[in-house]
Amino acid sequence: MSAERSPGGGDLAGGLEAELRDELRAVARDLLTEKGPEAALDWRSVAEAGWLGLEAPEALNGADATFAEVAVVLEEMGRAAARGPYLGAIVLGAGVLGLLEPGPGRDRLLAATASGEVVPAVALPGDGAAGAAGGAAGEVPFRVEAGPGGPRLHGRAAFVPGAAEAGRLLLPALDPGGVPVIVDVAPDVAGLGRTAQPVLDATRGFGLVTADGVAVGEEAVWRFAGDPALALGRVRDRAAVAVACDSLGVSEAMLDATVAHAKVREQFGRPIGSFQAVQHACADMRVRISVARRLVEGAVRCLSGPPGGDDSATGVAAAMAKSYTCAAAVDVVGKAMQLHGGMGYTWESGVHVHLKRAMLNRSLFGSPAAHRARLAERYR
Amino acid sequence: MTATATGLTAFRAHVRDWCRTHIPVGWREAQTGVGEEEFVAFQKAWFQELRRAGFAVPHWPAEWGGGMPVAEQIVLYQELAAHDAPRLVLAFVAIHHAAATLLAAGTDEQRRRHLPAILDGEIWVQGFSEPGAGSDLAALRTTARRERGAYVVNGQKLWASGAAHADWCLLLARTDPKAPKRRGISYFLLDMRTPGIDVRPIRQATGESHFCEVFLNDVEVPAANLVGPANEGWRVAQETLGAERGMTMLELAERLGNAGFRRLVELCSRPGPGGARPIGDSPVADRLAALETEVTGLRALCRDLVERHEAGTVGRADASIVKLYYSELLQRMTDFGTEVAGLAAHTELRKPLSSSWESGAWALDFIGSWEWTIPGGTSEIQRTIIAERGLGLPREPKGA
Repeated sequence: MSAERSPGGGDLAGGLEAELRDELRAVARDLLTEKGPEAALDWRSVAEAGWLGLEAPEALNGADATFAEVAVVLEEMGRAAARGPYLGAIVLGAGVLGLLEPGPGRDRLLAATASGEVVPAVALPGDGAAGAAGGAAGEVPFRVEAGPGGPRLHGRAAFVPGAAEAGRLLLPALDPGGVPVIVDVAPDVAGLGRTAQPVLDATRGFGLVTADGVAVGEEAVWRFAGDPALALGRVRDRAAVAVACDSLGVSEAMLDATVAHAKVREQFGRPIGSFQAVQHACADMRVRISVARRLVEGAVRCLSGPPGGDDSATGVAAAMAKSYTCAAAVDVVGKAMQLHGGMGYTWESGVHVHLKRAMLNRSLFGSPAAHRARLAERYR
Repeated sequence: MTATATGLTAFRAHVRDWCRTHIPVGWREAQTGVGEEEFVAFQKAWFQELRRAGFAVPHWPAEWGGGMPVAEQIVLYQELAAHDAPRLVLAFVAIHHAAATLLAAGTDEQRRRHLPAILDGEIWVQGFSEPGAGSDLAALRTTARRERGAYVVNGQKLWASGAAHADWCLLLARTDPKAPKRRGISYFLLDMRTPGIDVRPIRQATGESHFCEVFLNDVEVPAANLVGPANEGWRVAQETLGAERGMTMLELAERLGNAGFRRLVELCSRPGPGGARPIGDSPVADRLAALETEVTGLRALCRDLVERHEAGTVGRADASIVKLYYSELLQRMTDFGTEVAGLAAHTELRKPLSSSWESGAWALDFIGSWEWTIPGGTSEIQRTIIAERGLGLPREPKGA
């Protein structure tokens, strides 16, 4: 009801795309809400809905769409506080695969990911901030070292989304020459450790991934199609903006719930929504969400084109969307809990589910302060 | 690139060239501290310069000298802001409120009389608020009594911005004292040279005096100057008040995001009294980045509002969201500038002329920001509109 739609684009193609996204949104909302809040996603029905291969090429079971469509799914998942490995497997997994040079191994995995047969994860540390403004790579968590018995992989990445349940792991690493690559490993290979990292937000799953001398075959080292540093920056920006989309959906859901509650809950003989204190708090939630939506839209637009266009603009837009939206979501959900009164503080009401999700999102893939520090580098 | 995009790129280049060759170099310094007459002359000359380029009233219908596509208007205001061009302060009410009112509710005769005159420099003022009618505008008590072929107006108007220089006034007055308060109001065009009008400037918190009180003592307004039907003035005002909120907010947002934010970065990069640059302090850099993010969001919000206007999909509270957010962001930015500038900001006793609401005299800018959070519907009124009209929350019971 209070969710905003983008106005139709100026040209025909833009209008058509916007229409398709609206349709996707409606389908996503149906599919995600029929299960009830926090429901685990049935990966097969998600695959049938076509959400796993949105950005993949048609030849590899994909839909040849863009990040703008992925963003719609992400927002709706935030709205529903949905469980499932979409962030790790699709935003990051399929996203990374799409940035690599085509090859038999990569193509097979991308096609299997798009069809839902394999659920990959990318060992990108969730506690790391995005790279510096400009989309350049920040720290790369793994490294391939040449040794007498062949190349070996070392390193660690904490808070990797979907690490524990992943059927395939993609590890960002520096090759012996210092060039960023992706190393494809099976989760049960010797020397690889995976430890679940339980968090307060029960709708999310993270794991610590360690590599201690994992043997790496030549066919497992996959190279980026363009400038590897820019590509890794792009992956980090995708992660940050994906979390912002999620927080946007979380915020919209909580504003809707609060408005609905304030219309029917009566105290002092009238609906609490008729009290100015409540009205103005809701108005402030609406304003912050409207601003957040515009910033997220800007970042999503940047990420919907191929990398290498204007990567510094993409980095800036991502940092703005992530820092503002994820901070706003915690305030919005916090206010939602306040305005739901004692009921809002109960486990039963479920407001805590969205609060924990918003709180986690704020810290995931770079705090607001870390992203603002990226922005501030440009002033010096 | 589509044909439209190519056209826009060419148009942007054209506006940029024009800005480089037509914006008077050093106009801010030259105009700061000049007398009222010189300010008026400069504003009128700049208006004519814009008019010659076709940039003065791009939002008007083509038959009256406008007709620029909205996409080009956005580019125009972006470039004017980027080049720190003077802003049309004096002509504002004329080209926006007066024109919107005449186009929506005026007679052909009224349009023919005033729209070309506005292009020639006719200045307008808004005579709406009164001492007892601020947020509750419909409580206004100025009366217009019908006598033969005219109305006789008595009362007092307040916060009439620029009334001292105005040729004409958009006037709301009560024509039926017995009707419910919103039903007894009529909308008039008032010639400011009519006998019985007394204009007195009010000194504001900043020390400036561009707001005025207007006393109306047996002022005769010809019946032909009634806009819309008698006693329907409230509806006419409601329909035309928000007409300017899209593009004018976009212009202000672009200016706040260009020169306004640049000035803030310059301020933070200048060595302070101890020699250190504030920007080296990470909390300062953090707040600067937060403000840049917010002003970027504001600009996108304004572009979205303009596009919604064009598409006919404006929500009932969209203009309120923009007005509220701009006002409070302006306040936060100027507050931050005042804090960073320290005591030096307090030694700037006069506000330099500015292309926008922020001038770089941060303390005075901060004080002046209440000129945004109070008039035009206070921030409290905007929040109530967003809650009731936008979110559909129940109205506060009368007399609660």
